[in-house]
Amino acid sequence: MSEAHDHGLPPKSSVSRWFLTTNHKDIGVLYLVTALFFLVFGGLLALLFRLELITPGADLLGSLGYNQAVSTHGLLMVFWFISPFAFGFANYVVPLQIGADDLAFPRLNALSYWLYLFSGVLMGVSFFQGSTFAGGWTMYAPLNTPAYIPGEGLGATSVVLALIMFTAAVTLGSVNFLTTMYRMRAEGLRMRDIPIFSLSINLTVWMMLFAFAALLAALMILTSDHILGTTYFQFANDGSTLATDADNPGASLLWAHLFWFFGHPEVYIVFFPALGVMAECFQTFTGRRLVGRKWFIISMVLVAIQSFAVWMHHMFLTGINLPIKTIFMATTIGISLPFDLMVFSLIYTMAKGRVRFTTPFLFSLGALILFIVGGITGVFLGAIVLDYQFRGTYWVVAHFHYVMVSGATALFGGLYYWYPKITGKMYDETLGKIHFATYFVGFNLLYFPMFVAWETPRRVFEYSQDLQIWHSMATVGGFILGASMLIMFYNLFVSLWRGEDVGDNPWAYATTAEWAVSSPPPLENFPGVPTYADGSLSFMDDEEVARRTSGPGGSGVAADGGTAADGGTASVTTAATATPATPAHEAAGEEHASHASFWPFLVSLGGFVAFLGLSGVRTGSVVYVSMAAVGGLVTVGSLFGMTREPFHAPEMPIAERWPFASVEKMKLGMWTFLASDIVLFGAFIGSYAFVRVAYGWSEWHHDLIPAEHVTMPGLINTYLLLTSSFLVVLAMVAAERESKKGTTAALAGTFALGVGFLINKGIEWNHLFHISTEMFPNGWNLSTNIASSTFYLTTGLHGAHVTIGLLICAYMTYRAWTGAYQGDDRAIEYFGLYWHFVDIVWLFLFPLFYIL
Amino acid sequence: MVPHAAIGVPLHGGDVRAPADVFNSIFEVFLVLGTAVGVLVVTYTLYHAIKYRETAGEDPYADKVERPSMGEMPTGGSGGRKVFYSFGISAIIVVSLIAWTYSSLAYVEDGPQIAGEEDITVQVEGFRFGWAFIYPNGHEASTLKVPRNRVVRLEVTSRDVFHNFGIPELRVKADAIPGQTTDAWFTASETGTYQAKCYELCGSGHSVMVAPVEVMPQDEYQSWYAGTNGTQNGSSNQTAASVGGAPA
Repeated sequence: MSEAHDHGLPPKSSVSRWFLTTNHKDIGVLYLVTALFFLVFGGLLALLFRLELITPGADLLGSLGYNQAVSTHGLLMVFWFISPFAFGFANYVVPLQIGADDLAFPRLNALSYWLYLFSGVLMGVSFFQGSTFAGGWTMYAPLNTPAYIPGEGLGATSVVLALIMFTAAVTLGSVNFLTTMYRMRAEGLRMRDIPIFSLSINLTVWMMLFAFAALLAALMILTSDHILGTTYFQFANDGSTLATDADNPGASLLWAHLFWFFGHPEVYIVFFPALGVMAECFQTFTGRRLVGRKWFIISMVLVAIQSFAVWMHHMFLTGINLPIKTIFMATTIGISLPFDLMVFSLIYTMAKGRVRFTTPFLFSLGALILFIVGGITGVFLGAIVLDYQFRGTYWVVAHFHYVMVSGATALFGGLYYWYPKITGKMYDETLGKIHFATYFVGFNLLYFPMFVAWETPRRVFEYSQDLQIWHSMATVGGFILGASMLIMFYNLFVSLWRGEDVGDNPWAYATTAEWAVSSPPPLENFPGVPTYADGSLSFMDDEEVARRTSGPGGSGVAADGGTAADGGTASVTTAATATPATPAHEAAGEEHASHASFWPFLVSLGGFVAFLGLSGVRTGSVVYVSMAAVGGLVTVGSLFGMTREPFHAPEMPIAERWPFASVEKMKLGMWTFLASDIVLFGAFIGSYAFVRVAYGWSEWHHDLIPAEHVTMPGLINTYLLLTSSFLVVLAMVAAERESKKGTTAALAGTFALGVGFLINKGIEWNHLFHISTEMFPNGWNLSTNIASSTFYLTTGLHGAHVTIGLLICAYMTYRAWTGAYQGDDRAIEYFGLYWHFVDIVWLFLFPLFYIL
Repeated sequence: MVPHAAIGVPLHGGDVRAPADVFNSIFEVFLVLGTAVGVLVVTYTLYHAIKYRETAGEDPYADKVERPSMGEMPTGGSGGRKVFYSFGISAIIVVSLIAWTYSSLAYVEDGPQIAGEEDITVQVEGFRFGWAFIYPNGHEASTLKVPRNRVVRLEVTSRDVFHNFGIPELRVKADAIPGQTTDAWFTASETGTYQAKCYELCGSGHSVMVAPVEVMPQDEYQSWYAGTNGTQNGSSNQTAASVGGAPA
């Protein structure tokens, strides 16, 4: 497409474009630049504490300053640098590799980015609120609660809120990528056929969808402990410090379980995209197809699934019993084996190749070698007897830096690899090689001495004098590593002007579709609708698309699908969205595709202001409270603006959609989102069960819950919600029958019943807050005990879901009244999915919190 | 029969396998094997990279392998069998190594059962920023004093946040979790002073959260213990005060 068809999107030289754009390539660039900024941020913090560690003692940063630096370094690098950096490539490259013209939900993609950016800004602001979070990136409880945070602790609250905002960005991104990859693949591309980088991203987002939901639960509970005064992570809430007086003996372990249930998949979330980049670079620069590709993919799938069953190996010393330890030892060793296979697969891909030592290949090969070292030292940790002694020492620090920063190494290779595609210019190869040499030396000088000095406890500034030589070496290595990055920044910046123009494809033996189009690719990516139906990439022009989509009864499409290269059951090609009457050029998605929206930026800005306000509401300060209010209004208002904005993201007329050919795009997105919501509620319910078991299941009811907490309000609410679900179904039926009155009435009824639910709950809560009995003279409120905390927070989260549903329901009632949905009940169906889900959750909560 | 512990005779005489011995022997094997495997695999990797580097002129393997072409459907390359052989070897090494250490795990978990010997049990309570040691007679101290050649069992917990109690030289370590108790054991055959440290970030004084551990001759220990009578020596909170960390 020529620039004339940019549909209101300003040119790249204009600043406003970057605030408006919803195009995946622009957003990819934004992600890359922002992630590199956070790399510098986190890197400078690391250099600060490496300076501190040249000699023992906290003479530079002070003890709390030191703790803040190590904690935020970890958080910034893990959350705000490495994954978003990988998702810069994912945004740019995945749609190109699978043959899509953009992501499934372009505005949602922009929203992901802006939420990510502002979450990082909030993280930055936390440094100026007294002090930022100082409890380590693992944020162990109860050090992460206000009781143990020095000063007002607002900075720490901001960090927790920033992480929530980040998690929101990740969840939206996961939904978006999954929908895209299952609905928008070029014809003939089965899931297993998509290029290995895209495949690694697919598995990464699956892990993200579930792992980050668990983290979100942990963070929401922690926020509630910070702001609302619940006591999940406080083991004694009467101010006593005696270990034996614990009111909530499960507090610390609850956090550890929630965090590591997220934390271990996170390791692979960080590493998989890097593995994908390595595999791409190895294929291109060896001129060989990936050896054992099928087994490479199976290995990745196994790891992705098993990653949710290894988390307790981070907790071997917490007193879990031997059988459980044995199981987790076995799963841990089991999950390391697929990586062996992947490593050998990469090594043998070089055999009989034509290996070219370009900068991207050097970084990929370097990453492989570093990963081998990281992997071998990880086996040490798999032996529990050794793990006991390595726990909390520099062995762990050295090991995971060899793994994680090896991932970053591969991603830097990816930056050199795709730089010509993104910019249309070639970087300076000599400077690239110098960068790699300095980087590799700096890396090993930084992290290898940590193995030697492994007896140093983690996160201390005091260590024994005889280890000083190793710590000094590491510090020098850190500065060399940091300086090497300056070479890269210089190289890539200057090459924007001085670099040679590259054509479509500067790399011999590159095969994937992003190299088949110009550099940078045009806004709509491809000169036609891409297809692999005859075994290799070609583009269908308008005429062919029209012929195929307008055949009698779509039989032509079915026939083509049947003859697709793979011939398996997987290749069901559909043209669900293209009706025979659709003009070809419109069906091909060449026109009316929107690329600009200002709302994602505004929503995120509002969210940022609201969260910054929330961080300080517990002080009662007018500034903080008004920020929370204004920010909240801006967010809700812009979300409303976003739904009212006409924005068109046409679906591909011909695409591979297995296994979701019959699930419409919006519905698939909604199902995916609900899948993560199930994990969120699962984590809340699991948390409740865990702290209750730790306290004593039956004593819980006797000791902590007042007799006034009766079943009736819950029972009434159960009936209210069930009836309201039934009414949503009626609304759908009425819409199908084109009865405007019926639709409006049914939706209004749903709304009324939902409001009734909230009112009933309000009365119940108000009563419980103000009871005055012998056991609970001051009422039974959020802070009374762990039972009240779990009750109010879990049912409160459900209540928040009901409230959001009601806002949507009110809007839809109004729309139905003005005549919408008649004959097309899809929107009501999507809302119904959500509403039924909220009902089903209640069916779990009611017995758990009212009967048992 | 008079229990040995009551008359204070050193019982296992140093022939009990200490956790430190178990750790050191396993660690040594892992270091040697790990280094060997690492050097081998990295060399093998570099050998492939250099041997198959692109040279000027014709593609020497043109008749053996097919080069990928632009726009082709992604597929795998030939040579998968070697991957499986190498994978098989590495899997056998890893699994057998871990299985071998597993036999030691049961021992390290429960410790030795020595007929007739009473183990010494000490409660360890972590707090910001120090350690308190509570003996069966109620005596509380800030120094852990134990006799040599006796099995010492620790019951570890915390008064405030998550700590981790470890004596690196004696290779004993346990999480100190508020509301929970974790068990660990050790035995020391050399008298002398060691240092216990905190291995979980717990606040501003984490780096200096240490406590002395004194391993004494059996008879010295007996007479010291007889003189304690369950009185506190009242120094367990000194460390916290001297660090001057932020109050809870």
